[in-house]
Parts: sequence; structure tokens; C-alpha cells
Amino acid sequence: MATNDLDKLLATASLAHLRAEMSAGKVPQSPGQAQQVVTHARSLSATAQPLRIAFVHTYTSDLLDPWLALAGAVQGVEVQSYHAPYGLALQEAAPHSALVRHQPHVTVLLLQREDLHPELSRPVTGLGVEGQALVREQALQRVQEIVSLFRQQPVGQLVVSFLPRVAGPSHGLYDAQSETSESAWWAGFKAAFGQWLRTSVPSSLFLDLDDVLLQVGRNEFFDRRFWYSARFPYASAAARELTRRLVAIGVTLITPKAKVLVLDADNTLWGGIVGEDGFDGIKLGPDYPGNVYVDFQRRILDFQQRGFILAMCSKNNLADVDQVLKEHTHQVLRDEHFAARRVNWVPKVENLQSLAQELNLGLDSFIFVDDSDHECAAVRHALPQVEVIQVPSRPTEVASCLDQVARLEVLSLTSEDLAKTEMYAAERRRRELAEDTGGTGAGDYLTRLGMKMSVRFDARANVPRLSQLTQKTNQFNLTTRRYDEQQVQAFVADPQWIVADFSLADVFGDSGIVGLALLQRTGEHSARLDNFLMSCRVIGRQAEGAFLHTLFRHLAEQGVDEVVAEYLPSAKNELVKNFLPEQGFEPLDEGRYRRDLRSVPPRVEADFPIQILMA
Amino acid sequence: MSTFEKLQQTIATTLKVASAKITETTRDQDLPAWDSLGQVNLIMALEQEFGVYIEVEEFGNLNSVPAILAYLGQQGIQ
Repeated sequence: MATNDLDKLLATASLAHLRAEMSAGKVPQSPGQAQQVVTHARSLSATAQPLRIAFVHTYTSDLLDPWLALAGAVQGVEVQSYHAPYGLALQEAAPHSALVRHQPHVTVLLLQREDLHPELSRPVTGLGVEGQALVREQALQRVQEIVSLFRQQPVGQLVVSFLPRVAGPSHGLYDAQSETSESAWWAGFKAAFGQWLRTSVPSSLFLDLDDVLLQVGRNEFFDRRFWYSARFPYASAAARELTRRLVAIGVTLITPKAKVLVLDADNTLWGGIVGEDGFDGIKLGPDYPGNVYVDFQRRILDFQQRGFILAMCSKNNLADVDQVLKEHTHQVLRDEHFAARRVNWVPKVENLQSLAQELNLGLDSFIFVDDSDHECAAVRHALPQVEVIQVPSRPTEVASCLDQVARLEVLSLTSEDLAKTEMYAAERRRRELAEDTGGTGAGDYLTRLGMKMSVRFDARANVPRLSQLTQKTNQFNLTTRRYDEQQVQAFVADPQWIVADFSLADVFGDSGIVGLALLQRTGEHSARLDNFLMSCRVIGRQAEGAFLHTLFRHLAEQGVDEVVAEYLPSAKNELVKNFLPEQGFEPLDEGRYRRDLRSVPPRVEADFPIQILMA
Repeated sequence: MSTFEKLQQTIATTLKVASAKITETTRDQDLPAWDSLGQVNLIMALEQEFGVYIEVEEFGNLNSVPAILAYLGQQGIQ
């Protein structure tokens, strides 16, 4: 690195600036330079949270320490490393081992392929297709044993890695199309191992060093001199990148979880200022610098796919931004990608606070992205719990400016994470419609939602979800009686019982199954409401009334003219205290109510802003 | 800054010792931090600071201040 690059790092005034400079490619090149940056970084942050990392390694790992210190210092953490004795130190996977006593947040297994199977010290291409499959099976078994041993101990997040081969693939240029391709064999092993970790081992991560190698390049990854003389494979570039990734894993574990990416618009999502340059004047499209912003927006979608919620905070006229989101051919992020938006002239600090309120998430889960010195400084000053990322002024650095933000890494993913923004976005559009129709009353808003309720009886396929509803619903729950899947299944099968559920769809999306009623026939003309509950997701849309009276009409058709129900108060179901009297029930004795379906007939479908579909 | 002073600073930063402890005659045995790991770190630092590429055969020889100064002299660094 040019000396003036190091000088620039040593002249940074905050860790955020230091991280930004390093993310833009100004990096220390040797352990000595790393040490200088560490000293500087420590002078910038008053306190450094300890991050304990333990290594089990079949090649030299101690030489990573200066790089670990660097990666930690720029994140404001102090890495305390423990290196197990050289070799596959399985004795560390014991209750009182030195490793366990280190109380690591992260335990890293730095393994080589040949640790998993003796055949892997020779070219796998020589094994033939069947031999390869067998070796893969056995290698997988071996690594599963090793991982399971460590997972049984309190070793923190378990990170497993395999050193890439120093040499290129056995079949060289032909490898990719070879029947016994080494790359294909290795890719198959990695996929199988990754799947096993995902489905069977909690708090575990497969850190793919092949991607580190891709990033820095084979010639920059290995330093053969140190490899052959000291069993240390990494050249500076690889050591720096590997330790950066390891520390990022630790940071996601010991800092508050980031959940929301709040994005500015002008000079962040596109080049230029839409209010001044106009719809046609902003830079967004196939040519430089517009292509930079297209790529940045695509990258932002990657973060959404990791489960981060997107929000917008822009000083602009709403109509200008709306036009870009709706009509610009090259705009990637559309209205539906944002869970919440603040496009106005209010100070951003206030907007962030109200976004936190609207999303019901803490400000310490926010990452704020903006190009303006002033806005970034204002947010850093007033809301230190918000992580602020300033968009680089050099366009070519924009698209990758979030790539090294440690808190934007995730260590697991569920299908709920993937649907999160969608759910928030649908909820936002409902709220906007409600505000829109505020003057004309709630009725108009509900009508415009175009709600459709699907009611099903004794639906065997829904049993797991219905059981889950009885377990999880607390507020809108008349009796809070919890039933496991077998019990719900028994009600479904019993002709004396009626198990009714509903799902609710509207113009913004489908809520899935959100309501359940359990009825028991107690005589030819009578029934008992054992429970009636509804997810809080759909409260306030008159769905409960529409559902209950649909059930009443169904019962009346079957000759039932009396329904008895109970309200059992719990710590959380105050909400439904008056639900039964409101629906025409008369009090009997303590908590019991009775509804006469003959003298007070059920209400008709048209009374509710909901179309009923009977399955 | 003389080559010795630059070397003194490089060794001090890399091995995390006070530069006053490093004289023109200091060798690996004088400093606990100058062990085999320290040696590898020092090689990397020397390459960076003095712009040289050190062959693996030289690693073991560069175990003292005079040896390193002599090596740097051979490389044209006075």
C-alpha cells in the first residue's frame, strides 16, 4: 500500500471513517502496518467490547492474530484469541478443556480436506465416479462426527472451514467438463455439508474459504514461502479478508441485531437530485454513472433477501419520489419493497424516530444509509445507537459500500425472514389507505380493502396451524384453552364437534389462517362454544363478527337455536371481555353467556364489509 | 531516518516492544517476542517496509539486527 494510503487510515477521525476507507480498498499490507492501524483505532473508541474466538486448526493459526486484532479494532471490539494445540485437537471438545474455559463467542475449525479422508490428500479424479461418491459419503460422516463433538460443548457459534487446495484443479483447464471433475466433487460435498448444518446443527456456520479465494485471487491468497516453511498458508490479503469475515460473525453475535436498512433517495438510490434535475435528469440506467446505482439497488435487494426490512427516508416532494418508484424504467426498488417511507422535509432524526415507532422496532436495529455529510453527522450525533453508513462520493465505490458492514451479515435464514418485508409493506399500504379515507370514516376504508373471508369446516390439512393458533394467540382468545395437534385432530374427527377456521385476503395480500372456532353439539337444538380466537394481525377489520355470524347461520340451518359460550379472563385477553354481550349474548352465571338464535337471528353477510366464501 | 532507525521501528511495531530495547546488536534470543512466529511476522514487515522480496532460504538467517542490516545492504539499501 502506498504510504499515503496508510497515512489516510491513520488520519481518520472515527471508526466509521476508518471502516469506510478500508472498505474502499485502503488496507494495511503487513502485520506491522496492521498494528499501527490497531493503535490508531483504539485511540478512536473509548471502550472495546471483548470478542473471544477459539481456533482448532490443522495448520498454523497464530499468525492470524495481528489481522484479528485489526479486524476487531476497526469494529470497536477487542479480539481475545485462543489457539488449541496444533492438529485436530478433539480433546478440546470436552467439558473443562482450555477451549471451553476460554468461553468463546465463536469457535473456528480451520481444517484441511485431507483431515476428513486419507484419499483426499491425493487427486479425487483418480477414484472414478463411484469411488468419489463413497469418499464423499465417508468424508461427510467424518466432518459430522467432528462438528457434533464440538457442538455438544458450550463453544459458542461454531464456524467450519476448509482450506482450498494450494494447486488448481487436477484436470486443469478441462476440469469443469470432466466426468470426474474435482471442482464438481467438491461443490457436491459442500452442498451436502451445508444442508446438513442448516437442518441439523444449531448455531453453526460453514465459512466457505473458496469465496475468500475468489475475492482475493489464488496468487494473492497463498504465500507458498510461509506455507512450506511455517505451515501458514495465507498471504496478507487472505489473512486480512478471512479475519474480517470471522470478526463480522462475532459482531453479529455480540451487538444488537440489525433489522432495518433505511435508505436515502437522492445520490443514494440514484445519482442527482430528482427535485432539481427532474425525472429525466437523474442518473439511473445502463450508462455510467447511472449503472452504478442500478447495481446498488440490486445489491440492496440482496440484503432484503437476507431478511432486512427496507425503509426510505428522503427530503423530497413525495410526488417526485413516487414518480421514480412507479414510472422509472430502470428503478429496481419499487413501492412494494419498502416497509415504510418518510418522504418529507422533516429532520431525518425525527423521521427515524417515527419510523422506529411505526415498525415497532428499536433504533439500535437501524442502519441508516445517506450520502450527505450533514445528515450522517446529525444522525450520528442525535441517535448514536443508529449505525450510519455514508454513501461514497466516488460513484464506482457506491454499489459495494454495504458489502463490509458486519451487521448486515446473517447466520441463519427462515422463510419468515424472506416474507418479512412483504408483510410489512402490505400493512403499510393498509395504513396509508386508512389515513387516506380518514375523513370518510372507517367503513369506507374497510370497504375499499375488498376483503374476502374463506371459511372451512373440519379441515384436516390445517390441524398443525390450528393447534399453533390455540398455543400462540393470547389477546383475542375467549377461553385460552390450548390444544395440541392430536387433540385438534380428535375434534376434527368427532361428529359432535365443529372445527371452523377462516383466512382473510384483501387487495394487499393474504393473511393465511388467522381465526378458529371450536363448537360442540350438546343436544339436538343446542351447542357450546368451546373457544373462539383470532390472530391480532387482523384485529379491527370486523372479521370476528363476520365469522361468528356465519357460524350462527350455519348452526341455525342445522336446527340449533341456542349457543352457550364462556369468557375466561387471562392476563392478556382483556380485549375480548365484552365481545360476547356485543354479539347479542345474554349473561347466565359467572363468565357464562347464552345466545338465542331464534329470538335474535344471526346478522346477514351484507352487514359486514367482507365477502364470505364457504369451502 | 537511517536504515537502522527504520529497522528499529519496524521490529518494535511488529514485535510490540519498546524501540529502546533494540540496539545495533540485538538478536532473536534477546527478545522473547522474537520467536518463530515473530520471525514470520518480521519477514512480512521487512518486505513491506523496505520493498524487498525475501526468499524462503533467507528466513532463518535474518535472526539479528546485524544480519538484517547486512542483508538489506546486499539489496542496495544502505
